[in-house]
Parts: sequence; structure tokens; C-alpha cells
Amino acid sequence: MLAVVAIPLFALVVSTSPADLVDGLRHPVALSALRLSLFTTTTSLALTLLLGTPLAWWMARHPGPAERAAATLVQLPIVIPPAVSGLALLLAFGWRGLLGPVLDRAGWVLPFTTAAVVLAQLFVSAPFYIQSAVATFRRLDEDLLWAARSLGAGPARRFFRVALPLSRPGLVTGAALSWARALGEFGATLMFAGNVPGRTQTLPLAIYGAMEMDLRPAKALSILLVVVALAVLLLLGRGTEVDVELEAVRARA
Amino acid sequence: MLELEFDLVRDGFTLDVQLAFARGPTALVGPNGSGKSTVLRAILGAVPVRRGRIVLDGQTLLDTDRGISIPTEERRVAWVPQEYALFPHLTVLENVTFGVPGPAGRARAGAVIDQLGLAPLRSRRPGALSGGERQKVALARALAAEPRALLLDEPLAALDADVREATRGLLADTLPRLAIPTVVVTHEMRDVVALGGPVVLLEGGRVRSSGALDVFRASPPSEFARSLVARTIGRG
Repeated sequence: MLAVVAIPLFALVVSTSPADLVDGLRHPVALSALRLSLFTTTTSLALTLLLGTPLAWWMARHPGPAERAAATLVQLPIVIPPAVSGLALLLAFGWRGLLGPVLDRAGWVLPFTTAAVVLAQLFVSAPFYIQSAVATFRRLDEDLLWAARSLGAGPARRFFRVALPLSRPGLVTGAALSWARALGEFGATLMFAGNVPGRTQTLPLAIYGAMEMDLRPAKALSILLVVVALAVLLLLGRGTEVDVELEAVRARA
Repeated sequence: MLELEFDLVRDGFTLDVQLAFARGPTALVGPNGSGKSTVLRAILGAVPVRRGRIVLDGQTLLDTDRGISIPTEERRVAWVPQEYALFPHLTVLENVTFGVPGPAGRARAGAVIDQLGLAPLRSRRPGALSGGERQKVALARALAAEPRALLLDEPLAALDADVREATRGLLADTLPRLAIPTVVVTHEMRDVVALGGPVVLLEGGRVRSSGALDVFRASPPSEFARSLVARTIGRG
């Protein structure tokens, strides 16, 4: 099993000389895809945190039929194939989609724009953050929140001063997973946003596009993505340790 | 004066009480599972009451018949649970000022911190405190908020024997001077004696007896009460 995973990754690395790597990363296609990927994943992560956190808080605090329905809905994008997600997005926000006429009247065009890339990333990646956030919020010691209430703290103060700081490790983990998923997003983006260099061609799409012409940028970008993925894994692995260390440092201070 | 008259059902257990706590400390005793902690949580507003009223100094905190339920954050009832529920990410000072934001609150918190001898610990986090220190911080946090009633759930249970003695003295010294209804749940007759106030005995979710300490000691109203009184000497 390990060989199945290791051999392709090994092949990717040994087939790329350092010179190829540098050339590949300097390729205009690579640079523009890198910029676009950084911009879109940062935006989709910000939206995930902004919209996903209140939803996760509500789900964690209000178990019941509505919460279970929301949980199922939120988990769906994790298991449905990305191509299906792309088609669904197109049928919802496309010109002839469900909301097409409304968006058209408002002067908004989504398909094949950078906004579509962000929306596709949000759709497929937010569930990873929300799941992790719900689990983290559920682990909060209920008595801390009651103690805060007994001291006069309203909902906002309880959330920002108690729940949020105590949930930070779990939220960071969820955010990292979600960001990594957004960075690797390919299928839904291709269907909903297309493959337009500089506008919708993110790193995975650039790799796909480069395959047909020059393999060097494809290989270089692939290695870059593997390195980023490794970094995320290391960050997650160390996440809890870092927090424990931080706590120890604070305690000593 | 804190007056209760309510019933509630929680996990199949029925609690049905009618009680009045005067200003000053009252000991709330009873066997495990008699509903002592639940009484405190109901006063706090942390468990739903099926039917009844809670009135504090003439203000109705809860009246199911009239549809009144003041939210916990507006009741000004301070609560110190068994494990203290200190905010682990905040310093001692931040914990104590939590309920009293602003410069006036900071001054008030500072005074309470000094009064309880916590000044050297003010920048520590709860994780770096001993059990006795945590208990003091929890008490300081509750007092700084200037509550109208104070609920302490087994304040000494988590402490080592030697620390327990000192903390008991601190409570016996501090609580009567607050002049607010103060309910102290305990398993130790020594605590009851140290507090010196009335004793409420809860058994099976009902009030078995309520009255002066001397009467409770002279004629324990139940088997449990007899064994509690008998344990006065011996364990710390």
C-alpha cells in the first residue's frame, strides 16, 4: 500500500531536475495560476470562516431535527463527485440556471469569472471547516458558558471572549483542511468557472492545461502543491503541540 | 431574601422545593443525587423549571404562571461550580474582571484580589494555580461582580485536606459579611458548622428540613442527617 502512494510521488520528484523546477515555476502560466490560487483560496477561506462559524455555532448549540438536516446538507459536498458539484453550481447560478435571471437583472455574471472559482471552492471546501468547528464547539465545557452568563456576559461576549478563544485549535485545524481542499479544487471549478488563464485558471487547472504543451510547469506546480500539502499536514500534526507549548509558556509568564 | 417554589424534572428525577434563603450563608446538605446542584442551577437559570417562582429581594426572576423568566446574565446571581469553571485562557486578573468590565470594574476587581491575597497571582492562568488558589480566584470573580445572591457548589470538595481547612476559614470569614443570600452546597458537617447559618436538608428532590444549625445538630431530622452530624469529628 505504501508503495502505491510513494512510487507516484517519487516519480514526480525524480523526473524534475532543479533547473526544470525553477523554469517551470517561472513560467508565466505558473505565476499567474499561483497568484490566482492564492487570491481565490484566501477569499474562499475568509468567506468560509465568516459564514461557516455562525452556522457551526448554531449547529453545535441547537441539536435537533433542523440541525441534523443542516449537518447532512453541509456534508454532502464532501461526498458528491466534484463534477456533480460543478454541474449543480452551473444549474443554480448559470445564465440559464435557477437564479440566472435574478443575477442577470442585478448585472452579475458568475460563470467563467474569478467569482465562480471562489464560489466553487466555497461549496466544496467549507464543509471541512464546518464539521471541524461543530465538533470543537460541542467539546466546550458548558459550565464555562454558564459561569460567563452568571457574570453578566451576553451572547456576543460569551462567544468572542470564551467560546472562540477556547475553540481556536479545532478551528485552525478545520480552516487548514478546508483551505487545502480549496487549493486542490479542480472538477467543480473546471465545470463552473472554466479554464481561463489569469481569470479562472488556478494551480490544478494550470497543471491540467500545461500537460498538453509543456510538462515542465505542470511538474513544477505539482511539486509545489505536494510541498504545500506536506506543510499543511505538518502544521496540523504540530497544531496541538504548539498550543500545549503556548499554554505552558503563558502559564510560566 | 431568595425565595423559591418550583418543580422540575431532569433525567427522570423530580425536584420539588419550597425554600427561603435569608441574607448570609445557608448550608444546603443532602445525600448524593438529592438535587442540591440542580437547585443551584435552577436559581441560576441553567435548568428549565416546569412550574414555579423564584424571587430575589422582591424581584421576580422566574414565574412560569406569568411567563416571566429573567435571563441568567441579568439575574446577578453568581455561581461557583465544583470545578470552579475558571476561564483557562484568561489570567487571574482577566478572570476576576470578566464580570465587571471598564475602569470602575477593574478597581473593584483589584480590591477583591487584594482582599483575598491574590495579588501575586494576578497575571497567572488557572492552569498554573493550586486547587486552593483556584477556589479563591473563583470566589473573587464571583464577588467582584457584586452579585445579589451567591451560589457555591461544594466549594471545598476538590481541595486537599490542609488547604481545605484554610479555605473553610476564609469562607466562614467572608460569606457572612456579604449580607446577600448565599447558598453553600456541602457534604461536610465541618463546613456547616463553620458557616454557622441555617441548614437546609434535601432528600430525594424534596426539602426534608430547613432551620437553625443548633436545631439540626440537636435533633437530626433523618438518618442521613444523623450520620452527617456524627461525622463532625474525624475527617477534615
